[in-house]
Amino acid sequence: MKIAPPQVWRNKRFMYKLTASKCESCGHISFPYSSYCTKCGSKNVKKIEISGKGILESYTVSYQSRDGHEKGLPSVIGLVRLDEGVEIVAPIVDADLDKLKEGIKVEATLRRVYTDSYNGLIQYGIKFRVAE
Amino acid sequence: MTEVYINSSSMIPIDRYYEYDIYDLVIEAYKNFEGEYDVNNIDLIVVANAYSQKLNNASLIAPKIAEKIGKPNVPAIKVDNADASGGAALLTAYSMIKSGMVNSILIIGVEKQSDYPSKYLYDTIATNLDEYMYYNGISSHSVAALLMRQYMKKYNVDGNYFANWAIKMHKNATENPFAYLRFPVDLNTVTNSQIISDPVRLFDVGARADGAAIVLLSSNKTESSVKINRIVSAQARYEFSPSLPSVKMLRNKLGMRLTEKTGIDIHDSYSIMAALMLEESGVFESGKSLYNLDNVNVNLSGGLKARGHAGGATALYQLAEAHMQLIGSFKGKKANVDDYLVISSDDLGIVSYGISLSR
Ligand SMILES: [Zn+2]
Repeated sequence: MKIAPPQVWRNKRFMYKLTASKCESCGHISFPYSSYCTKCGSKNVKKIEISGKGILESYTVSYQSRDGHEKGLPSVIGLVRLDEGVEIVAPIVDADLDKLKEGIKVEATLRRVYTDSYNGLIQYGIKFRVAE
Repeated sequence: MTEVYINSSSMIPIDRYYEYDIYDLVIEAYKNFEGEYDVNNIDLIVVANAYSQKLNNASLIAPKIAEKIGKPNVPAIKVDNADASGGAALLTAYSMIKSGMVNSILIIGVEKQSDYPSKYLYDTIATNLDEYMYYNGISSHSVAALLMRQYMKKYNVDGNYFANWAIKMHKNATENPFAYLRFPVDLNTVTNSQIISDPVRLFDVGARADGAAIVLLSSNKTESSVKINRIVSAQARYEFSPSLPSVKMLRNKLGMRLTEKTGIDIHDSYSIMAALMLEESGVFESGKSLYNLDNVNVNLSGGLKARGHAGGATALYQLAEAHMQLIGSFKGKKANVDDYLVISSDDLGIVSYGISLSR
């Protein structure tokens, strides 16, 4: 998998922090950030940084990898309801599959996502782990 | 008022064609059209395709296809809305004929998906997800798995419930000479198949391979015409409640009365999508659709599950099959139907097209 440095730099708003927009008209939170509300279309949005704390509503254990993401199988993908009220689908790391259950608290953590072996670049991103 | 008809249709069996490139697939499907009156008078070619740039290293494919089928000077455009490209192509072509701008259009659906290993194919399909999910390595299968799990909890059903879809689709496909997976499966095979993203198993996923299907749209009525009564489109993100608001919106916009003589064809990218589509479109009550599959003429070809999933060409298979069913020339399982509801969608039901057809 080839990494383009300008993409990595631009993607920092959702790979290194959880930047979202909160709609002043309808209250909807759009993640990733959008200048217009993704629910009602209003331009009246403000940029917010999501705390990264939430609840694991549901999860799936995936046994099939995508190109460039072969490491760490099986992987856990969670449906996370963040404290701000927005639901996101996100990777869950360091999970003990026997202890993982719906309703537990999770929190954001910065982790390696993939490596570009050709250029020697590494992409990091925000994943989630069980909060003690 | 100009009416719009599907006057002919053609397809090749969905399969892994090592010897054919993306253009060869179209040529094989096109051969059946040669000699037809209308095909010598087409004004425009619309190509439905989603992944040619990434999977086939080919751009500007519509004019290239026009050249390769002997229509070098017929204007050609590509319409792309991922796996709903076929529905989008039909909406485009229908609107142009309806407006009086042109009289006949060849809509060609093609997708060549079998050249690379599946991990590369699924990386390509994942580009349909939002940027956070794409860059973090999440696949569409996992999103479908989360929807499936939510459904299981809400309606208290298990894997056996979803297995009904695969069993029915494989049964239908055994009769269809154009189907990719022409073998029956039983409950045991389905519920013990490989886990892709728990609870999604191999037999819950539409089988992607290569395909090409073509329909000829015209304002002239012929003996083999099927009329397009309406086409509507809707767009809204899936919800984990779970629901598909786009399909619910289609139902209201289309206002089609479904009877026991209505054939139904849906985009069953996953068994969970089949259940949600059948319920949101009003065919069955929520949480019960897959118990009732013997009561309805749905996906008689075997669906994406067993006829095969031809990516952006899928809706052209759906339309060609509906055309053949209505004029009585379909080579697989036939049904005595008066009209048809076709739902074309992307794999997670964000964009949907509802098409009402009758003889
Ligand atoms: Zn809003």
